[in-house]
Amino acid sequence: MKIGEDITVLAAFGMPYRIKPLSFTWSGRTIEIKEVTYTWKTKEGQKDLHHFSVTDGSTLFELTFDAVSLLWKIESVET
Amino acid sequence: MDAFFASVEQKVNPKLRGKPIAVIGSGGRTVVTTRSYEARKYGVKTGMNIYEAKKLCPDLILVVGDNEKYTYTCTELSVIYNRYTPDIEIYSIDEAFLDVTTTHHLFGGPEAIGSSIKKEVKDQFGINCTVGIAPNILMAKLASDIAKPDGLKWVKPEDAETLLKDLPVKELWGIGAATTERLEQLGIRTCAELGKAPVSLLRNKFGIIGEALKHMGQGHCDRPLIFKEEDPKSIGHSTTLAKDTSDREVINAELLKLSSMVGRRARKHGFVGKKVTLTVRYAGFETFTKQTTLQFHINSTHKIYHNAVDILDSIRLVDKVRLIGVSLSQLMRENEDQMALFNDDAKAKSMLKAVDSLNDKFGDFTVMWASHLKTMEPSNVISPAWKPGGVRNINIKK
Repeated sequence: MKIGEDITVLAAFGMPYRIKPLSFTWSGRTIEIKEVTYTWKTKEGQKDLHHFSVTDGSTLFELTFDAVSLLWKIESVET
Repeated sequence: MDAFFASVEQKVNPKLRGKPIAVIGSGGRTVVTTRSYEARKYGVKTGMNIYEAKKLCPDLILVVGDNEKYTYTCTELSVIYNRYTPDIEIYSIDEAFLDVTTTHHLFGGPEAIGSSIKKEVKDQFGINCTVGIAPNILMAKLASDIAKPDGLKWVKPEDAETLLKDLPVKELWGIGAATTERLEQLGIRTCAELGKAPVSLLRNKFGIIGEALKHMGQGHCDRPLIFKEEDPKSIGHSTTLAKDTSDREVINAELLKLSSMVGRRARKHGFVGKKVTLTVRYAGFETFTKQTTLQFHINSTHKIYHNAVDILDSIRLVDKVRLIGVSLSQLMRENEDQMALFNDDAKAKSMLKAVDSLNDKFGDFTVMWASHLKTMEPSNVISPAWKPGGVRNINIKK
């Protein structure tokens, strides 16, 4: 299911992951990330978008981090 | 990479791990582009339509491919390869040849390089790959095919004869079904038989490649790696329509979108072309191409589009259209200093330059012809010819 909402994410920046989302708040609920299953990067013109496929153990989410606006989005949810 | 797209999808979604899955395009009438090893056990093959695949494996899970993940991974994989040698040929989105002749001593030998690459790929992406090591790419490809999945095999020169002795010729890279059948007509079934066959016999049957086939049977191959992509012979795009149609408005809108993509790629890499080719596939899979050769070289979207439409106007469509494609060929490098002959040409060139720079900055199709809005959703299957750089690097959208 496509979402596309801005969210607040608690993330760690640094090696070896560079960026590792740890938890996020969506619809008033804080979701702990159990596994970052895949990461990839895309370009929208000159803008870099970092994609994270993450799971809380039961649901799969896709989060994006916009390296220009420094905003996080929840892009989709798959139960 | 082993079952590349399927492995990525299984890594992304833990619920798919260990299950038979098939990666498909996003269109309604798509085919299997890759299948997991679990699905292969049921006989699911690449290119099968989803009904055939589901019939063989009712529990098959269909996953719409996400080309952005695959192209990103392929680009990052080339970064890993570059740590071991600068001499790399990215052969396809999931295969690469590395020449480690001059660097292997720095890393403990070819086998150590193979193991390190496998580990780095697993650590970074969580997917498996197979490494074949040999004195040439023919034998390296064979070694990799034998060692799949998740293997590493080194075929040394002294091992080649034993390996090839009873190996069917069809196992060799570059020998397809048609060549296999023609070799069988000569009584040649194994690589050893091919290697021992008289050159005159092979030349008589296959012409100039007869001698090369004999060498292949002996495990020899002198094809060098292609490190630098050669200038393309053509630049083209095609799309399978969401549904078969005879509606010229819909077809023209698709042609405009494809012409935009061809023109933009030609301009981005500095090419102009003199020949426009239109490809049409009918609902019944009958496919034909028709082309027009122009007096001048072009790369502007509207000129490509108008020529493609003119070709289409000259054809009486006898069935609904399933696939449509546009390509530009007889390419040469664009001379930026060439002045436009007519004022309108200069204006159009400036306009396209402005559109291209806006799309470079904000993303493809940020500025586009309004008619693009009429186009249908494409099936979005990635071309196997995609490369992480050069003219074959196409910005893939979901």
